[in-house]
Amino acid sequence: MTTLAESPLPQAEPSEQDIITGLQQTVSASRLALFLQCRLKFWFRYVLKLTKPKTPSLHLGNTVHAVLKGWNKARWLQNPLTLKQAHDAYTAAWADNTEGSVNWDPGEEEEEKTTGWRLVDTYLREHHVPAEVKPDAVEVPVEADLRRHGLPKLIGILDLVQQRKIIDYKTIASTPTPEKVAHSTEIQTSSYAILYRHNTGNTEAGIQLHHLVKLKNPRVVITSLPPISQQQETRLYRQMDAYLDGLQQPHFVPSPGMHCSSCEFFNECRRA
Amino acid sequence: MAIVLEANYAKKLGLPGYSSHQYSISIRTELTDLSQVEAESARLYALLQSAVDKDIQEVGFIPDNNTYGMNANGQNHHGNGFHGQVNGNDRHNGSTNGTHQAKGFGDRWNCTDGQKGFIQRIVNENKLDKGEVEHLANQLFGAGVKQLNKMQASQLIEDLLVKVGKPAPRQTRWQQRPTQQAA
Ligand code: SF4
Repeated sequence: MTTLAESPLPQAEPSEQDIITGLQQTVSASRLALFLQCRLKFWFRYVLKLTKPKTPSLHLGNTVHAVLKGWNKARWLQNPLTLKQAHDAYTAAWADNTEGSVNWDPGEEEEEKTTGWRLVDTYLREHHVPAEVKPDAVEVPVEADLRRHGLPKLIGILDLVQQRKIIDYKTIASTPTPEKVAHSTEIQTSSYAILYRHNTGNTEAGIQLHHLVKLKNPRVVITSLPPISQQQETRLYRQMDAYLDGLQQPHFVPSPGMHCSSCEFFNECRRA
Repeated sequence: MAIVLEANYAKKLGLPGYSSHQYSISIRTELTDLSQVEAESARLYALLQSAVDKDIQEVGFIPDNNTYGMNANGQNHHGNGFHGQVNGNDRHNGSTNGTHQAKGFGDRWNCTDGQKGFIQRIVNENKLDKGEVEHLANQLFGAGVKQLNKMQASQLIEDLLVKVGKPAPRQTRWQQRPTQQAA
């Protein structure tokens, strides 16, 4: 018998339509929020997949998250980290460039690194999550199949769940106000609640946003929200519906506004 | 001769935490003649249904999926390991008051089939000791692998991937990834 050796077929680059089809099948809170904020920016990021150098604040935020994840995980296993161990974890996470490096201005990196550690230090010293309380989950990826609502699969990562409370960490430059936080994070908080409910069969006891504020004297601002209402759940489903509809007839139009000041695709947008 | 009409109305509803509860009312009444049956049955049906519907809204105790049925050390009483032997008595939560019933686990996994297959694949491909995996599940959740809900199973998968040196990539805050990843 003769066996013919076949060279593997070259992997075809997915077409734009393939990518859009994939985006219709799963959605995360951040993807949904971005689509509703500016479709052109969504197109640059998720369809064209333009990559940009990592920003200093993203690097700082990721590093803080990594340490808090390690800290929560360690206390879960009843082997809590000392401040020194947390600092070592911070240094290691800061040096991790596997997700791209930052184009630092001279002197900027040291300054940001110090700011980030002071945030972690403040958070840990102020004991915002009691060490003796066991987490239910730490940075866990979860998904919810919403096909019976005619919607895509919702995916997301829960930073911390404790005593049925969903806790999300954010690093931020200025002190947030509770009402604005509740409003501006609604897509995210509603998504987390739906994810929690689908994955545990329980209703969340509430949602907390832990903002670590990058001030000269770092601050931690905790905003506590009740379990999401039926109205919020419906609103999220409608937003997901609008996302699906929008992707059906892909007019990736720009939505210029205040948010453009922080858009990494500003130049591409001006040229488009 | 008196005619006895016996009516019963029962309703069973699902509850969070893999529970359900049910409530039923029975009533007996005497009729003097058969021609009353139809009207009386309709009346009793409406009456009993409205009474059951009103009362069943009070859900009472609902077991916490994460803690109910665990002993003081957070360990499960039955040790229903995912490699474990299944026996007919291996019910996680007995019916406590006759109205609330949590589902037993038997050989059933609480997580999705995809998660179950993924956990088994990580264990088999990396020759992990099932007892150790069971221990990890108990240490984290106070429950055996089969009893983990979807969120707990997802967490276990993350931890097993770390354990076998294939951690899921660190999360970029704005780039989500799907739950299931190949080991
Ligand atoms: S600059 Fe503004 S309008 Fe243009 S893509 Fe960015 S967010 Fe959209």
